[in-house]
Amino acid sequence: MISNPMSHPQLCSRRHFLHANGFGLGTVALASLLERDGLLAAPVKPESVTGEVRYDLMPKKAHFEPRAKAMISLFMMGGPSQMDLFDPKPMLTKYDGQKFPGEIKYDNLAQASAKCFGSPWKFAKHGQCGMEISELLPNLSKVVDEITLIRSMTSGVSNHAQGLYAMNAGRSVAGRPALGSWLTYGLGSETDELPAYMVLSHPGGLPTFQGEHFTNGWLPALFQGTLVRAVEPRILNLDPPPSLAGAPQERQLALLKAFNEDHLTQHRGELDLQARISSYELAAKMQTAAKEALDISKEPEHVKKLYGVDNPATKDYATRCIIARRLVERGVRYVQVLNAGQSWDQHGALITSLPKNCEATDQPSAALISDLKQRGLLDTTVVHWGGEMGRLPVLQNDAGREKWGRDHNTYGFSMWVAGGGFKKGHVHGETDEFGHKAVIDEVKHFDYHATLLKLFGLDHTKLTYKRNGRAASLTDNQGAKVVEQLLA
Amino acid sequence: MSLRSFLQASLACAIASVASAVAQDVAFFEAKVLPVLQARCYECHSHEKKMKGGLTLDSRSGWEEGGENGPAIMVGRPEESLIIKMVRWTDKDHQMPPKDKLPAAEIALLEEWVKRGAPDPRVLVTRPTSTDWWSLKPLPRKGALQAPQAIENRLSLNPIDAFIRARLTERKIAPSAEADRRTLIRRVMFDLHGLPPTHAEVEAFVREGDYEALVERLLASPRYGERWARHWLDTIHFAETHGCGHDLPRDHAWRYRDYVIESLNNDKPWPRFVREQLAADRLFPEEPRLIAALGFLGAGVFDHSAYQTAPTNFDYLDRDDLVTQTMAAFTSTTANCARCHAHKFDPITQEDYYALQSVFAGIIEGDIPFDEGTKVAQQRKHWQALLTAAEAQDKAVLLTAENDVLVADWEKHQGPTVKWTTLGYESFISTEGATLSRSGEVIISGGAKPEKDTYVITAMASLASITALRLDVIADKSLPKNGPGRQDNGNLTVSEFEAQVFDAGAASPVKLKFSRATADFNQASYAAPAAIDGNPATGWGIHPAVGQSHHAVFELAAPLTLKLGAKLTISLKQLAPQSHLVGRFKLSATDEPATRASAMPALAAAALAVPADQRNEPQRLALAAHALRLRATDEMQKLPAPALVYAAGKKADVLLAVSKGTPTTVAKPKVVHLLKRGDFDKSLDAIASGALSAVKTLPSRFTKAHAGDESERRAALADWIADDKNPLTWRSIANRVWHYHFGRGICDTPSDFGRMGGAPSHPELLDWLACELRDSGGSLKHLHRLILTSAAYRQSSEQRDDAAKLDGDNRLLWRMNRLRLDADSYRDYVLAAADKLDLTLGGPSVRQFVTGPAVQLTPTLDYTAYDWAAAPKHRRSIYRFVWRGVPDPFMETLDFPDLGLLAPSRSFSASSLQSLALYNNAFVLHFSSELGKQITTPADAIRRILLREPTENELRDFTTYAQMNGLAALCRVLINSNEFLFVN
Repeated sequence: MISNPMSHPQLCSRRHFLHANGFGLGTVALASLLERDGLLAAPVKPESVTGEVRYDLMPKKAHFEPRAKAMISLFMMGGPSQMDLFDPKPMLTKYDGQKFPGEIKYDNLAQASAKCFGSPWKFAKHGQCGMEISELLPNLSKVVDEITLIRSMTSGVSNHAQGLYAMNAGRSVAGRPALGSWLTYGLGSETDELPAYMVLSHPGGLPTFQGEHFTNGWLPALFQGTLVRAVEPRILNLDPPPSLAGAPQERQLALLKAFNEDHLTQHRGELDLQARISSYELAAKMQTAAKEALDISKEPEHVKKLYGVDNPATKDYATRCIIARRLVERGVRYVQVLNAGQSWDQHGALITSLPKNCEATDQPSAALISDLKQRGLLDTTVVHWGGEMGRLPVLQNDAGREKWGRDHNTYGFSMWVAGGGFKKGHVHGETDEFGHKAVIDEVKHFDYHATLLKLFGLDHTKLTYKRNGRAASLTDNQGAKVVEQLLA
Repeated sequence: MSLRSFLQASLACAIASVASAVAQDVAFFEAKVLPVLQARCYECHSHEKKMKGGLTLDSRSGWEEGGENGPAIMVGRPEESLIIKMVRWTDKDHQMPPKDKLPAAEIALLEEWVKRGAPDPRVLVTRPTSTDWWSLKPLPRKGALQAPQAIENRLSLNPIDAFIRARLTERKIAPSAEADRRTLIRRVMFDLHGLPPTHAEVEAFVREGDYEALVERLLASPRYGERWARHWLDTIHFAETHGCGHDLPRDHAWRYRDYVIESLNNDKPWPRFVREQLAADRLFPEEPRLIAALGFLGAGVFDHSAYQTAPTNFDYLDRDDLVTQTMAAFTSTTANCARCHAHKFDPITQEDYYALQSVFAGIIEGDIPFDEGTKVAQQRKHWQALLTAAEAQDKAVLLTAENDVLVADWEKHQGPTVKWTTLGYESFISTEGATLSRSGEVIISGGAKPEKDTYVITAMASLASITALRLDVIADKSLPKNGPGRQDNGNLTVSEFEAQVFDAGAASPVKLKFSRATADFNQASYAAPAAIDGNPATGWGIHPAVGQSHHAVFELAAPLTLKLGAKLTISLKQLAPQSHLVGRFKLSATDEPATRASAMPALAAAALAVPADQRNEPQRLALAAHALRLRATDEMQKLPAPALVYAAGKKADVLLAVSKGTPTTVAKPKVVHLLKRGDFDKSLDAIASGALSAVKTLPSRFTKAHAGDESERRAALADWIADDKNPLTWRSIANRVWHYHFGRGICDTPSDFGRMGGAPSHPELLDWLACELRDSGGSLKHLHRLILTSAAYRQSSEQRDDAAKLDGDNRLLWRMNRLRLDADSYRDYVLAAADKLDLTLGGPSVRQFVTGPAVQLTPTLDYTAYDWAAAPKHRRSIYRFVWRGVPDPFMETLDFPDLGLLAPSRSFSASSLQSLALYNNAFVLHFSSELGKQITTPADAIRRILLREPTENELRDFTTYAQMNGLAALCRVLINSNEFLFVN
């Protein structure tokens, strides 16, 4: 049922367009919009090398019929502990405190012990699917019938930086474009009033490795993530002085565009110059659109309550999840919601800090699923919840219960995805009986990316960018395969 | 027992069969393919030998990522794999190995390998312990490294071009033509000064400019140091607040910034620059103004909260920040990666890391006083030495003929004993519950005996003016050991003696400033001056001279005139633990000259009564100590107040929220332990100071220095870094200089030359530049001249299809990189164009924000509330007060870095947020409007802002536009334009 007029992104953005008088879009823009509505989406542009190619954020035709249109990634930097949240291990509980009966691949060699650390939390079956979820995630437990839980993720190199690069940018090396950049590069944007790729930061600051979370790498700067502040005003400088608002500003921007275009013809092929021209066009429209999109004050009380805006523990994350939903409703392609530092990196004090992390994020994350579903948007929106790695089944920091923790593990960890064509109420893959390594249906990070791109109608081998004479891609020559079992 | 035994049997089988296929592939690779790679390819494509074209074949990731031409292998697809194309010699431009084609059998092996999915179990062969790595290789000795023969002789004037052309020729890419003169002057001005030329300068240069002369002129200008100082300050994360949670300002940090500017302007030899920043106090004691260089040691963050609550963690983490900064900035190494375990990729052990920590184990960050003038410094040093000797009763120093004269002089001017008038007490209370009572002139403390206490006494003085206050502490048999203290041993501690005056009807009191404190007896380490030093942790005590009355005199810095009805409030803070409380006391005042009021030790007073020629040595010593102490303190008060710099040293005034400047001394360097796994609770052996053992050309442990004063350790590290034989140092700075000129280093990770860093694009050139710098005595200006006059630097930045196809990233420098202005240059450019730039050199930083009430000690800053119209002109960006944790959002959107972290290079974004800022931020709006007021025509605007003549079309369009919208609107457009923001 579509009861909310906002629930249709195209309608929404047009409505906003037609009523946008703060910036006074002129006839030229109107013409371009009409042209845009009738536009047959163009295929992904093949070459980048020089002046012939002009990048833009116009919607692009996918390689095949897409199921997903947008994605919200709830990124949990640090490495959430899978055996305490998603992957129950009775054998581990049985061996709790005893020597681990196998070989452990440690990262932080000296500190991890060989002693099994059974999860201190209980698991129970939930939903019609009977998915087992930890008591730390009571709200997620209520929506398990909507999600696919992958218990067999791997990413190879056991360190935060490399894990982040792998999970967020396809390979464990620095400097590559993030997933959001690839999606917007491949598909363009459904809105010309907001950035195609937006990143919502935590009041405590950026995660470790900062801007590398939303870098465009060597893709054109146009596809860079736009960072939204954690506090009001979430975007600065949106308002021109009253004397310049409206028609005067419109004329100024028109002159600036003409002048920059003229300059570009003298310096053809310069992607940074192009990107600045585009960013002014977008900036102009954001003046009204972004303000409206980022303001949750008009959200109904029951929605705010659903996410937990009314609870100090969940208020920030709830607010940002609502904003993420509002952005997707308005046509933003990819939104990433970040944590601060690497707050899931529980080498120690797991028993006290993991519940705190869960408390802050569980209700808003689950609410996002129900809310999107209720609005009919879940079918076309992928929601992702996960970090760059998981944790080991053995004890780290054996210096008293309050100090216990777990070391890094990239050989088998969990994350969940929902919507956009992923299966519902499904568990994929298994780790061994201790939760150390993926043993059944391993999903390598690039397999996940290939699968994700498929839902967006993109063939991961064809979504390429020519760089130094060769075609580079998100999954880049790693032998990635689409994991069909994940797809509904 | 393996994990497999936990799996179901059938699954185990499936895995086993897959595993066996994998094992076969791996065996094939290892038996057949690996020997071919090793024999035929490793010479030029491995980490241990060369990495030609950036390609390595000694690990799987090496061929996966590939070199300049991309991945060497497309898994399963030999026809598309570069390595196969190369070894087949099908294309004459792509033949590998270059001299002898491989035998057909070996080519077939490689093809089969790729077809089978290129099984290759080799993980990145880091062999972190190996020191066989480009950046660690010793540099050639002077004159040993020659530039390659230039292909075109006429261009071989500058050796840099010989290196650049050699690589371009290999890849068959032609260099670009020289940029036009208009472009050149703008490029070199922004590069060296971070400022635009004026339109007139551009025109003059276009007509008849001499490029070399221009370079010389720019290098000689103080604007050069201002521009290049910013690069160094970024690199070492210098900012003017603590950072972390309690982000307090450092009012004196700017002295270091000025030191860097001045050093660069003077082309201070690089080794000297290194030594001054790490150990000026030790190495150049005769030049006290160089103490400002130690600001380097205080550049980074200070975790105020941890300092107060978790000192051990603080020590290790604070030193970690400094080790990270020092080694990254000077040697481009990531030593800090060895904190918890040996470096995973580079030959840096945990011992090396903790040896570096040990170098900095004897210093603390805070404000450090220093004299800008050498003469003043000498005098201060002289009198300070005398004062120290007086306090130590050092007869070798005090009883010299020279000092005898001073003592006699003092004695001659010694007037009659001053008269003290007891204060008229009005009230006296104990803040902690002791009972104070009065008996005549004496106040007695009784009743409860708290751990610590403060007595507050209000009194009227019958004198019209006061020059000094006196505290008598009085022995009495009612007190333990007869007092005068209430501590069981009869002792007491006056931590702070404070006085305030309330004029009649005044709303608030005025705190009195004391210039000197003396006592008739000082307990060791508890001398009277400690009671007026503002530090509650120190104070005046009298042990072991208990059972006797004593007194201390507090001289006012200036005589205080008491108006009718004025009241004094005196606080006796007694904050030492275990009830070191005053038992009985009396307060009095005098109006006679303060210098005669000083308390005299009993022995000195007795000596004074004996005729001079009949005094024995103890008497002479007591008298000399007293007289010389007074003289020394008098003389020091006459000297100009020392300057302060936020730095680090053995002694510093630590900047805390409770007291801005808490005097702190690290009496003995802390012992640094190797921490197992970096865990503070798991300390292993103590580690002596040293540096990286991977630099084989130099000794890496500072055994001798470690045994000496802490400053010797820093000096040893400075010497280690600055040594001609340290290959890292010279490569590091040569690469940085290149990086700032071209926008990208020869190694594009300027602070990491390790295995996780980038491979140098022109390693021989980098070595040549490093040697050139070293052999010129470390002159950066020499390097600038070489680079700026090269054809590579002077070439056009225009895009070229032919070259872009082969080297789209311009790694080989077939064109100049076009660069967006950085935040600082943009801001200064706008100010310069609007003729609002104040070119004053140096001084305290300008705070371009409005400060609001603190949240958790960090004040709130409102950058938008700053009024740009408040000052007629504005200082350059380098003089902006940089609040580490609360950055200026306008500068941030133009990619001014987060200085909580080291920032060896800046990023250049082009987000819509940046467009919004450049469009609507008050700074841009204000100066657009200022520009609009100054110019008269659109042509004028183009000349002033874009530094060129307008085209006819522009004149037409802009005139129409300006008529309708005004010139300010036109200026706003121009300072938002790409032409304005980019340097070609």
